[in-house]
Amino acid sequence: MLDFSTVLALVILTVGAACSLKDVRISLATSLLALAIVLAAAVSTPQLFMYVLLVIAIGVLTVFSMSVKENQMSGIDYALVALITVITVYVAYTSDIAFVLASFVIASVPTYALIFVSTDGKPPHVDVAIKYIAFMVLATVLFIIGTLLLVYSSSVKDTALYTLGFVMLILGLGMEVGCAPMHEWVPDVFSAADPLPLSVIASITKIVPFIAAYKILLLTSLPQLSNLTLFVAFIAVISMFTGNIGALTAKETGRILAYSTVANMGYIIATLAVITSKNFLYLAFAGALLQLIVNAFGKASFFASIKTDGCSRPLMYVLALSFIGLPPLMGFWSKFFILTSLVGAGLVWLAFLLIVNSAISIPYYLRIARNLAKDTVPGKVTAIALVASAAMLITVLPPNWFINIAKMVIGGV
Amino acid sequence: MNWEIVLLFVAPVICSLPIAFYWVKEPGSDRARKLPMLSVFGLFISFVIAIHILLTYPNGTYTIPWLPEYNINFVFIFDYLSKYMGALTAFIAFMIGLYGLEYMKHDYRLGWYWFFFNMFTASMLLVVYSDNLLMLLIGWEGLGLASWGLIGHWFRDDDHLSYVGVVGRKVGPLKMYWPPSYGGWRAISTIRIGDMPMFFAVAAIYALTGNLNISQIHWGVLFTKIGLAGTVFLMLCFLMGPFTKSAQLPFSEWLMTAMTGPTTVSALLHSATMVAAGTYLFIRLSWYIHPWALHAVPGVSVLYYIVLLVGLFSALYGASVAIGCLERKVLLAASTMSSLGLMFGCAAASYWYGKLAVLIAFWYLMTHAFAKATLFLVAGHLIHATHDRFCCGDLNLAKKMKTAFIATIIATIALGGLPPLTAYWVKAGMDTVMHHIAETVGSLPLDLLLITSLLYSAFLAKFLSLNFWKGDKYHLHLHGEKLMPFAYACVVSMVFLLLYRILTGTDPLAETHLLEYGLDKDSFIVGLGVTGTYLFALVVPRIRALSPIGTFLGDRMYLPALNDFIVPSIGWAISKLIEYTHKAIDWFCHFGLPDGMLGISRRIRAIQVGYMRVYMKIALAFVMAAIVVSMLGWL
Repeated sequence: MLDFSTVLALVILTVGAACSLKDVRISLATSLLALAIVLAAAVSTPQLFMYVLLVIAIGVLTVFSMSVKENQMSGIDYALVALITVITVYVAYTSDIAFVLASFVIASVPTYALIFVSTDGKPPHVDVAIKYIAFMVLATVLFIIGTLLLVYSSSVKDTALYTLGFVMLILGLGMEVGCAPMHEWVPDVFSAADPLPLSVIASITKIVPFIAAYKILLLTSLPQLSNLTLFVAFIAVISMFTGNIGALTAKETGRILAYSTVANMGYIIATLAVITSKNFLYLAFAGALLQLIVNAFGKASFFASIKTDGCSRPLMYVLALSFIGLPPLMGFWSKFFILTSLVGAGLVWLAFLLIVNSAISIPYYLRIARNLAKDTVPGKVTAIALVASAAMLITVLPPNWFINIAKMVIGGV
Repeated sequence: MNWEIVLLFVAPVICSLPIAFYWVKEPGSDRARKLPMLSVFGLFISFVIAIHILLTYPNGTYTIPWLPEYNINFVFIFDYLSKYMGALTAFIAFMIGLYGLEYMKHDYRLGWYWFFFNMFTASMLLVVYSDNLLMLLIGWEGLGLASWGLIGHWFRDDDHLSYVGVVGRKVGPLKMYWPPSYGGWRAISTIRIGDMPMFFAVAAIYALTGNLNISQIHWGVLFTKIGLAGTVFLMLCFLMGPFTKSAQLPFSEWLMTAMTGPTTVSALLHSATMVAAGTYLFIRLSWYIHPWALHAVPGVSVLYYIVLLVGLFSALYGASVAIGCLERKVLLAASTMSSLGLMFGCAAASYWYGKLAVLIAFWYLMTHAFAKATLFLVAGHLIHATHDRFCCGDLNLAKKMKTAFIATIIATIALGGLPPLTAYWVKAGMDTVMHHIAETVGSLPLDLLLITSLLYSAFLAKFLSLNFWKGDKYHLHLHGEKLMPFAYACVVSMVFLLLYRILTGTDPLAETHLLEYGLDKDSFIVGLGVTGTYLFALVVPRIRALSPIGTFLGDRMYLPALNDFIVPSIGWAISKLIEYTHKAIDWFCHFGLPDGMLGISRRIRAIQVGYMRVYMKIALAFVMAAIVVSMLGWL
């Protein structure tokens, strides 16, 4: 059912993108239609429906955020964003390593084009685009080679090769999403490129790499794996500290958001250290996935708001507080899940460092909110921020249901 | 029986409430100045009940339920010790109350004074009659609170007549004079130091035995259970309370500066309450611990030896200080400390000698109480009459204050141990005890006792001589006091009652033995020696050539340094440490952390130079390093 609708959605997107040369609105309509079809198809798997709904919501928000201002590839960009969204849904359903790898690539490659977007007839930001693409290509290569090594070594039980594969996979993942110390591209790109494509790059595209990494590692796991999680923890700690401390003195909102991304990726990659603990694996992944969703909603709204020099004050503060982790906002639960799983898996020191980092992050999130806050004016960006803020509030009741979803996303394997 | 017991403790407090409240409303009014009569009436009620208990109550305990499910109740004990002690306390308190009516007539804070005075008495009675340690602690704390209130009664520090020491005198960094407010603070703070471990010890006793009644706890079983170190530690913690309350070394300083309070307070504090509470509690404990039957239990011998030495050394210290002292009340205070030490020492000797030693200590307590109360009351009268805290007076004064003169002669002879008056027979008992235990613990206790006894009678004679015979010049301001002489005459007459009981042997427990000891040849020789030093000091009360030694002794061998210099220095050091810690924390929060973060943050952001070759170098270097490290597994 989903396979069919995915293919249908891809066809519709392609047609819509082609027609957009005639009229941009056609592509907008077809993009939304494709997302609607995928959502409708997801009704048949109620266990995953909430996940699909949240991803589609992020997808729609980012599509709208691309439409805030006309750019040189308007029309095509909607289709590309919708494509990423569809793949993000699809990756949750597949347990075939080939498809997982394909999803990883498909979710990444459209951004190579999007990064060139510029509005108001300005020249495209070629230098940052080159930096971005160079890092992405390197990351993709590392990720794919790592995956292949893992698949091969797990079938022949070669622990040395397995170690190499694991390290390369993590390096590829880290570089793709912007973990320190391979984060150098992030601050430059996030502060220099156009905010509109960044609302896609910084948000929805981060989801697929993590799901892919989880699936691949679980499918190819060897007992060796438990010895390697320290490497993940190491990268997580460097990332958290680099991101949070770096953000403290950054003044430009885009730059702060860049460091915030580095820190968030640190929190999320930390959950991979729990992957060998049977009891806490799903909780850890639930935390990671929820944090990715928080990040996607928040970053999409913040970057869209940068484009319009600010947005409604209360909405900005809700999003910032959610990033800080104030209960009962979604950002609290994601961190809570992550911390609980870390403590449960015996990584108390890592949990402690995560809490310290959360504390460090408070000033700059409030700075973001203050930088962007202005009086409420009805408009597209306000609507985006409103939907995102509403999403942050769906966890007023403890979201235990999300753990089951997380279990389905990777346990369906 | 029930209401009578309750009334015994409640009557003094209730009767002092009218003055306490009325004085707040109309301080100093004529009507308010009549209300102290009511307070003294409350003391009278207690006195009558205590006598009734002494004469008619059967021995045993009487329980009023409190927390029966925890086996904690108001348990009153009526035995040889509590009956005598209760009657003594109530009698002396009543007499001092009468004296106080006249002595405190013109005071500016009568409500405060009478409330705490009566509370003091009630608290002491509670301590005396309670068998339950928790209930005893209530009285114990009442004593502490009341002593703070009374010693610092003249809290304005405006009258140099209420100070201790020569005002303005300094020795090195030490101020050798102490105002009332400081005296009150010293008392309560010293006592708290002892009470804290005592609380924990009581809690520990309850945890270990499930019982808090002194007469019911199986002390031998308890001591066997917790072993040598446990016994010594637990009981020393417990005895920290009695040691501080009874001003044993090194906690004696508060007692000396307690002389800043009204003389009535000193008299009560030094005879029947407060300081006596400490020794009384130890005597009561020993009475029921039966240490003489616990020679097989480890730790008890160590414990009793420690108490023996602490007591006797305190006795010698107190006597030496009194020898060098020229201040009327401070001299008497030091002598009290000395007596308390003798009581501790003698009661502790019971481990080797048996129950009789405890009894002798108790008889000494009673003798001392009456004599010392008399001497203090006389001293108070003298201070009023001469407006001088220091010893002064001559035969002319003795003629004008005949009652005081005669009372002092009787009290000094009776307390000094001159044959044939009261203390001679009791001290003879002590000599015998110490002589007996010399076989097992050496002659040190006996030596200490003998030296103390000689010094003791000497300074008593000095007190008599310097105040009524060979003292300095003075100005006399007699106001025709009647109640004051009556009170100390009554109190001093009690030493004859004790003497009567000793000589006639009407007490089944003690007197016959005391008579035996007193008729012993050795005791008589000691008695002669004591008489000799008494007469010598009477004729030569001051030896000017030895005045440097006298100053050293009179300055209490500079023990005030402990309270006024060493302990505060430690306190200052701790507060400095805390201050610097605070500063360090402040610096860390205000500068260290933010500046550090700023620096690191700038470093992190310094990577962003904008050149892709730099970025790639860093990223690839890390990738290569990680891969190389991961490949170490192949080796």
